[in-house]
Amino acid sequence: MSNLSDVGNLMYLDLEIIEPGKIINISEYLVNATAQELSNTDGRNWIPLIVKETAEDEYRVIGNHFIYAVAEAAGLEKVWCIIADDSEATEKVTKMLAGEAIPKINLSTASRDEIRSAIEYVVEQPNTVLKGVKISVITNRIDEAPRQYWQDLKPVTKLKCGITKGKKLQALEKVFYLTPEKMPTEIKDSKVLNTLTVSELKKIAKKRNLSNYSRLNKSKIVDLLSN
Amino acid sequence: MVQSPIQTEINYYQEETNSLVEALEGLPNSAAEAIVDNNFITTSFLNALGFSLQERIPQFNTGHGRQQVDYALRHNSNKDNFLLSKVNPHVLVELKGRDIDLSPNSGSYKSTVKQIKRYLLAPNCKSVQWGIITNSKHIQLFRKHSKVIYPATPCLEITSDNIVQLTYQIRKKLEHTIKALTVAVYNNKGGVGKTTTVINLAAVLTRHKKKVLIVDFDPNQQDLTNSLGIEIGEESLYQCLKDRTNTLNLKDAIVSYTKKFRNNVSLSFDVLPVDKQLAQINEDDLRKEFSFYSFSKKLEPLKADYDYILIDAPPNWRFFSISAVYASDVVLIPTKHNNIFSLQNAAVTIRQYIPEVQKIRQEKTKKIEWGSTALPIFFNGEKIADAARIRATKAIKTIIKQVYQEYSFDLTPYFFPNYKSRNNTRIFELPSNAYIGYAAFDKIPAAYKNRTAYSYYTELAKEYFLQ
Repeated sequence: MSNLSDVGNLMYLDLEIIEPGKIINISEYLVNATAQELSNTDGRNWIPLIVKETAEDEYRVIGNHFIYAVAEAAGLEKVWCIIADDSEATEKVTKMLAGEAIPKINLSTASRDEIRSAIEYVVEQPNTVLKGVKISVITNRIDEAPRQYWQDLKPVTKLKCGITKGKKLQALEKVFYLTPEKMPTEIKDSKVLNTLTVSELKKIAKKRNLSNYSRLNKSKIVDLLSN
Repeated sequence: MVQSPIQTEINYYQEETNSLVEALEGLPNSAAEAIVDNNFITTSFLNALGFSLQERIPQFNTGHGRQQVDYALRHNSNKDNFLLSKVNPHVLVELKGRDIDLSPNSGSYKSTVKQIKRYLLAPNCKSVQWGIITNSKHIQLFRKHSKVIYPATPCLEITSDNIVQLTYQIRKKLEHTIKALTVAVYNNKGGVGKTTTVINLAAVLTRHKKKVLIVDFDPNQQDLTNSLGIEIGEESLYQCLKDRTNTLNLKDAIVSYTKKFRNNVSLSFDVLPVDKQLAQINEDDLRKEFSFYSFSKKLEPLKADYDYILIDAPPNWRFFSISAVYASDVVLIPTKHNNIFSLQNAAVTIRQYIPEVQKIRQEKTKKIEWGSTALPIFFNGEKIADAARIRATKAIKTIIKQVYQEYSFDLTPYFFPNYKSRNNTRIFELPSNAYIGYAAFDKIPAAYKNRTAYSYYTELAKEYFLQ
């Protein structure tokens, strides 16, 4: 470690020079009750706060916000902190490591088991909006769908598996992200073609130099393109 | 969105700044000096720096032969108009065309730096505090403190995105010239006379009517504090460094050292003594509460009160010495001509340690501050016979060659400051005399006790600092 950097160090910092950062929802009860317990000991936070240095003698919390809240409630003047580097990637992964942010998986490439465990996680959350959905049905339908081409998660609502637009879809957006492949123009799979809009289908038809497609309805264009 | 104070002030200068960007963008890529001057410098840049037409003299006569610098600048007072009086310039600007490459490491950059340094030291420019070199593609600001010239900023690239911010920051620096020169006296090798140098330099500078603060930043030895007979603090320096919420003031830890002479004259300088608490804490624990910039930050407000702040740094390259170098403008490196390690360590300091500090300083300040600069080394302490001098010169030449081959870092200006112009290998020598060694027993600086010691250290002060 370089002598000229505090990154990686455990430091004992004044609470006053640490900015709490983005406050997440923390139960008042848990904060106060833990603060009480901490005051009964020597007041050392054995699990450190994770901070980054924003300027000289200025720090911001990037992980373990709960500990900041407790330290404040317990009236600690100083807290033990680990100094992290100031990259965004570090901040993101630190939040996940602290259990304060939910990691996402890539639905474009995820395996069936990964999809299943992600959906299970969402369903198991307290106050889940996915109450009563059938996990295996959603998993199967999503797994078999041409998700490598999805631009967003909207096609899930068309899989007839109980996921509708709005809250339910938003719940899935918390665990999935996409890195869509470009749709090849020579694609003939009607299942895939059906997920596209009419104007997208027409674009494909144009690229293949077809004619007489402009007046067709969706199912007819799909027929035309899949032959 | 809440605007930062800087942003608000930048908006205040909006009119000037708009013209700044426009003028810069309107410059042809290979514009010659006259065009850069006419279309950018005189019409926008100098306005944005806050100097009116009455406050500039183009082609200012430096007094060194017939050499003229492109611009000399100074703000007018009620009584005095710079354009008319032509005395006491504050800033010099050396201008180049865009056809001259001023990117760092280019040959033309190096010669331009030499040129501005020459002007800064010229007879008519004694009052100058700042030097600027620019070709409208690059710009660098130099600070001149009496005889010492060091880079205030790195050589920065100018773009239409940063020109406004950059000009603003330079303007702020010119308007708030920091009074003190902060000098870290450091050599990785012990026993080269750092503490003696600090004390006697302070004594001599004080005698030359300068206001001096010396800092004992070597808690393990505490030599400086002891040798002036000052009581070692209990924990004031420690408490002050530890206080990161800015409630304690370093001023409260300062004590004054006064020497009364027989003719009723008395001289005094200030001392920041070391304290016991700092000595007792091990390095790892220190690092838990302080950052290497903590000391520098605490020292900042004192820089307006003194002409010189001299820091006695411990040998080794750990918390205290790093903090001392980080806080300093320049580093003075005493060596012993007959101790090869002190020479090699000086080379490591100049090639590796100081650039490390510069790098981190530049990162911390978003490249607007250059960081610490090494002064040329000097031989401390012994009378040097000719044969020994030849041997030392030879050893140094070997070190310079090795370092250049291995790291392509040129140490020559730091060991032989006069080499390039005259092939001169003279190194400043500070001879010793018996009094210098004994002075510590008397708790009085040797320079105040003995005429010879006084003249030796006066020469050192004049060689490096006094104009």
